[in-house]
Amino acid sequence: MSRFHPLKVTEVRRETRDAVVVTLAPREEDRALFDFMQGQYLTFRRAFDGEELRRSYSICAGRHEGVLKVGIKRVEGGAFSTWANENLAPGDEIEAMPPMGKFFTPVDPAAEKHYLGFAGGSGITPVLSIIKTVLADEPASRFTLVYANRAVGTIMFREELEDLKNTYLGRFSVIHVLETEAQEIDLFTGRVDAAKMKALFAGWIDPKSVDTAFICGPEPMMLAIAASLREHGLSEGQIKFELFASGQPGRAKAKPVSKADLAAGDATTATVTLDGTTRSFAMPRQGQSILDAVIGNALDAPYSCKAGVCSTCRCKVIEGEVEMLTNHALEDYEVRAGYVLSCQSFPLTDKVVVTFDE
Amino acid sequence: MSEGALAGAMDIEDYLAQGGVLTSPANVPARYRGELLRLMASFVDSELAASAGFAASINFAPGIKERIAASRITLEKADHAERVLAVMAEFGTDTARYQRQHDWAARVARDADLGAVRTGGDMRLSVFHYPIDGWADAVVMNVLMGLATGVQMTELTRLSYAPLAEVFRGIAPREARHAALGVEGLERLVADQAGRAAAVAAVAYWRPRVAATFGVAGSARHGMLARFGLRHATNAELLARWQAMVAETLGPAGLN
Repeated sequence: MSRFHPLKVTEVRRETRDAVVVTLAPREEDRALFDFMQGQYLTFRRAFDGEELRRSYSICAGRHEGVLKVGIKRVEGGAFSTWANENLAPGDEIEAMPPMGKFFTPVDPAAEKHYLGFAGGSGITPVLSIIKTVLADEPASRFTLVYANRAVGTIMFREELEDLKNTYLGRFSVIHVLETEAQEIDLFTGRVDAAKMKALFAGWIDPKSVDTAFICGPEPMMLAIAASLREHGLSEGQIKFELFASGQPGRAKAKPVSKADLAAGDATTATVTLDGTTRSFAMPRQGQSILDAVIGNALDAPYSCKAGVCSTCRCKVIEGEVEMLTNHALEDYEVRAGYVLSCQSFPLTDKVVVTFDE
Repeated sequence: MSEGALAGAMDIEDYLAQGGVLTSPANVPARYRGELLRLMASFVDSELAASAGFAASINFAPGIKERIAASRITLEKADHAERVLAVMAEFGTDTARYQRQHDWAARVARDADLGAVRTGGDMRLSVFHYPIDGWADAVVMNVLMGLATGVQMTELTRLSYAPLAEVFRGIAPREARHAALGVEGLERLVADQAGRAAAVAAVAYWRPRVAATFGVAGSARHGMLARFGLRHATNAELLARWQAMVAETLGPAGLN
């Protein structure tokens, strides 16, 4: 059940020295699938040296623009972003899943809201999509953006933001905070931390006027901003997050298979890692799933349906072979990477090593 | 979203421990994923079992107003299950198969003692395995469990997986309404002698069983769930809060 669809690259525009904006077009029959909400992201996949890599990038276009655009900033050592920055060209095809994510609030043309956005570096991409959408579709709403970057040269969409200020006079304002460059006002130099937030709320932004705040940036910045917003009276429901980067599944490296271990026998030594603790025990080769053996040995592994449907019990086989009887939940690429549903998996080898921690 | 880590990015577990929020299946660590899915499955199974159990109570209803209230609870609990199941789907759960997986109306004998242990194949809270045996029973169960859900919602609406917390923030006011419908029903019920006697018996039956849904004090898993931002208060704290609310609610009805 492939959820991926081909998109045609129609334009690649260099935005900064290490970031490009890529315009994409779905096939005619996929057009409805790729109808997006502001602030959503696309997940791409591509094989690098035979290994599948998946990466998500936020859409930076407004809904009314009627095109798909993503911003891709090159990250040191990042195979996908480097390839996109150096090799991607108009006419290429790239596979993507339909837009996902909930980093938005419903648009209401009659609304008179004050939105506050915080973006760090390339965290601007979904925020830009939201800014453009609400300015165009909510004529009485306004948006204040606090945008953190290292230096002027690394600011993505700098000109586009200036243009928006001019187009929507009085309804859109930007505060640039630059880490390494002194500005006329001290407040706008450095990182967006607790002290800076306090100062922003003291003199520049009235927290009581804010209906919804959007934050997208690196983790420490998200923490500092969210804490400050709560301190200044915003409720959880008023703060929308989009965590940028990190923790995305890495290379889906296929697990080496050693057929030599596939010997007949009636017992298996299972070694299981859960919450950083590793334990070994003997289990029968037939009649008991890995999950049941793990639970039987007093390890508190997560599970729910026990029918191969929900994927709560997913674990990764590090060594040895198992047979998965049923799988309604894991995708092919996860299975290739060694993931199995432990409730449906039975050992085939004398030794099986699995982990719930990866 | 983008690739890799910027200078200044931090370990995801440290981020969570400091109150950070995750936003998509792509940025949850493996153990977090397991616990999050377990939590969602437990909620979905409990709502489906609650809905199935309440469906039968519609025919216990003494009047139209009560019938509408019971129908609404039956409908909305199924709807809440569907909303959370949609979040599970983003992690790969086959939702069509999932909802057919169990007999949600199945119940144990009225006098069975399950404690806080999950039984049968699903992850519903143990309280949803007990059968409801009449209108007074349905009303009291709904009041006590409704208050318990209200307490649990103070945790669920601020858990660290933002798309799910948002779903719970949408669900919470409607669950609160279910509890309020229960309290209205209870007031009518205790207005006469027979109703009061039935309510007293039902409170004696359901009170310990709903209390058991808060789990054991000092749960071993709590530390990890708290580090993940999936739990904040302890089981004992939540139980104490529920007990206080129950006392406050049952007091005026003379049922304490």
